[in-house]
Amino acid sequence: MTSQTLIQTIANAAAVSGMYALIAVGLTLAFGVMQMANLAHGHFFMAGAYTVYALYALNKWPFWLAVAAAVGIGAVIGLAVERGIFRPLRGDVVAGFIATAGLMFVFEVFMGEVWGWGYMRPVPSPYMRAVKFMGASVAFQRVIVIPFAIACIGGLMIFMRWFRLGRALRAVAQDPEAASIQGININRMTALAMAIAGALAGIAGGLMSTIYAVTPALGGHIILPALIVVVVGGMGSIGGVTLASIIMGFVNTFVTTLVDGVTAFMVSVAVMALVLAIRPQGLMGHVVT
Amino acid sequence: MKKRALPKSVVFILLVAALAMSLALAGGCKKKAPTPEAATTTPEAISGLPAGLTQDEVVILSHLPDQQIGVEYPIGETIHLGFLCALSGPDAGWGLPGLCGNNIWIDAVNKTGGLLVGGKRYPLEIHAFDDEAIASKALQGARELVLEHDVKFISAIGGDAAKATAPFLTEHKVVYASLVPTDCDPNRPYVVAGGDITPQCNMFNVLIAKMVLPSEEEMGRKLTYALTTQDCIMSRQVGAWEIGAAKAMGFKIVYEEFFGVETTDFAPIITAVMATKPDVISLCEAWPEYQTMMWEQLYLQGYEGVVVQNYADWETNLTKIPAEYAAAQFGIDSFPLMDDPWWGETSWQKSFTNVWNARYGPGAPEDVKRRMTGIDWDHVIWLIPWCIGAQIAGKDTPGEWPSNDAILAALRAQPSFPTVLGPGHMSGKDMFGIDNMIEEPVPMCMFNLEATDKRIVAHLNFEPWYENIKDVVIKEVEKRGQMYYQR
Repeated sequence: MTSQTLIQTIANAAAVSGMYALIAVGLTLAFGVMQMANLAHGHFFMAGAYTVYALYALNKWPFWLAVAAAVGIGAVIGLAVERGIFRPLRGDVVAGFIATAGLMFVFEVFMGEVWGWGYMRPVPSPYMRAVKFMGASVAFQRVIVIPFAIACIGGLMIFMRWFRLGRALRAVAQDPEAASIQGININRMTALAMAIAGALAGIAGGLMSTIYAVTPALGGHIILPALIVVVVGGMGSIGGVTLASIIMGFVNTFVTTLVDGVTAFMVSVAVMALVLAIRPQGLMGHVVT
Repeated sequence: MKKRALPKSVVFILLVAALAMSLALAGGCKKKAPTPEAATTTPEAISGLPAGLTQDEVVILSHLPDQQIGVEYPIGETIHLGFLCALSGPDAGWGLPGLCGNNIWIDAVNKTGGLLVGGKRYPLEIHAFDDEAIASKALQGARELVLEHDVKFISAIGGDAAKATAPFLTEHKVVYASLVPTDCDPNRPYVVAGGDITPQCNMFNVLIAKMVLPSEEEMGRKLTYALTTQDCIMSRQVGAWEIGAAKAMGFKIVYEEFFGVETTDFAPIITAVMATKPDVISLCEAWPEYQTMMWEQLYLQGYEGVVVQNYADWETNLTKIPAEYAAAQFGIDSFPLMDDPWWGETSWQKSFTNVWNARYGPGAPEDVKRRMTGIDWDHVIWLIPWCIGAQIAGKDTPGEWPSNDAILAALRAQPSFPTVLGPGHMSGKDMFGIDNMIEEPVPMCMFNLEATDKRIVAHLNFEPWYENIKDVVIKEVEKRGQMYYQR
């Protein structure tokens, strides 16, 4: 590998890490608060991507306004799913798992029926240019995901640590019963967690609608790497997700460049298995007692 | 009672008289349906174009040797056809548009009363099944099409799907028209291909690339060639023929890798290809969705060489890259557009365009919200010869629909028959072990900045060119285990 290829690969990996982090952070937040894996999180992402397609690509809204709308749509979907699925099934992990698996199909069919099954929906790049750095060249559209990922993760961490509502969310994540005794409204907190998770999926989908192929199957493609990142990082750990995103982004990109994509996926799964064997709770997760 | 009986008798007599008169009138007005033996095209028998049939539709039926538009014949049973392709997913761009082409041609046939075969007109009906480019789904689709709809002919994309469906379709003697002759095999007597001119166009890509590159002498080194595409049977096979042609044309192969069909991030793939510094990058059989994302990465990572591929979808690509970049990299592919001025104002292609626009174009009744692509004609290109074969074979079996064996034999017996791309004939024994491939002129295209789309730059004859290079090519295909006798 020449130095130029190495720098290009590092740049590619950094961009992918940012993308993974932005997708996975909402998933881990929802899991942390509700102790349920939302398999439809990738489909929230897809909803964000379709929002940008509809508003920006078709109706010529400004790109950033369309992304803002995707954030709102994601939050509303998160709230609706919390009210319709997670709240009635609270405490029943298997039922939640099955319900969100079913929700994936509902989303996929809904999007297919509304926007068509055939081609990908092309979302024109608002910034059809690359950022050049030390001979490496990365799409501007990918680069801007990195500051967004940092801002979202940093903002979420500050919110969870320094804000009353955030601390309440953490309390619910640690011990819902004790939090309830302290007067924290559990329903409001789970609704808040899902709204934030939905909004994060919306912003990720909106920003990356120009990078990925926007099709009804998009959610299914997204959820698998996101789940791997969340499992490796530790379910419910925002810091863990950040670390895992960087590890998996680099592993995936380097192996794809040096060998191929299929091997890269195998290595990613092997890394996950290794982490689970050594630390079943993930890199920064906590053992549930 | 008598007073009431009289009007009743009068009404009865009047009714009988009216019935007799209408029968006589009807007999006099209606042309007598000729028996198969008596079928003629004498001017007396022609009563003008059937209702609803346009002049352009007459033109697109002009390949048929014996359609006798305007002459009435007895109507036979409906002949069912299948469309077994990816209608969704990353390969949909090679399937979905083809359904439009098949639909407009089939509807034109039906407006004439049906396909005239052996003295009967057979209405055609097409049934579509979305196989999503997944082999197991293709087999499920083949079963549904054959067992539920009794289809006799299937338009398909091929590759993994061809392999999965071949045993079942061979058993039922159903013709499977693949887009790639690499699917042809002596063990698959009903798999036909070649209307689509793959892999010939991939091999000609090498020739056109060489045409636009500086010579080895000017470069002071061998010209280099890289190939990458998704890992599927079609890509492996077509890629082998293309690499063979590149070797035969003196290129040094610096990269030949296939990525997984689940790939969503093409940045590292393009980085790996570019690291080998190729003069030519071939996207080979990259699915429509993938080639768009690969073009985007080529542009963003600053590739400056020639880019060739089997099929480019410029309407989508230009949402990701500037037209100037596509032109600078030449954007070489095949599958021309039927509205390319190269074909001329009065041509089959122009009429096809007119019919397509009237039905699927902007503001048309079934507006598909896209430009006509090079795939819109790519499936009907084999349906038409199959119907030609049926008409020829039907002469030996009056009043009956001929078997697929008879249809294919009739086509093979023709020294030449018309195709969408020009005169064709059955060939393929040399390359694929069976004469189930149509050989016809191969149109080669480049991206044209003024048109902001592809335009034909050459119309090439494959067989004499291939004859000169085949020893080298076959050696390379054998090295990769892709000759029909190695599979």
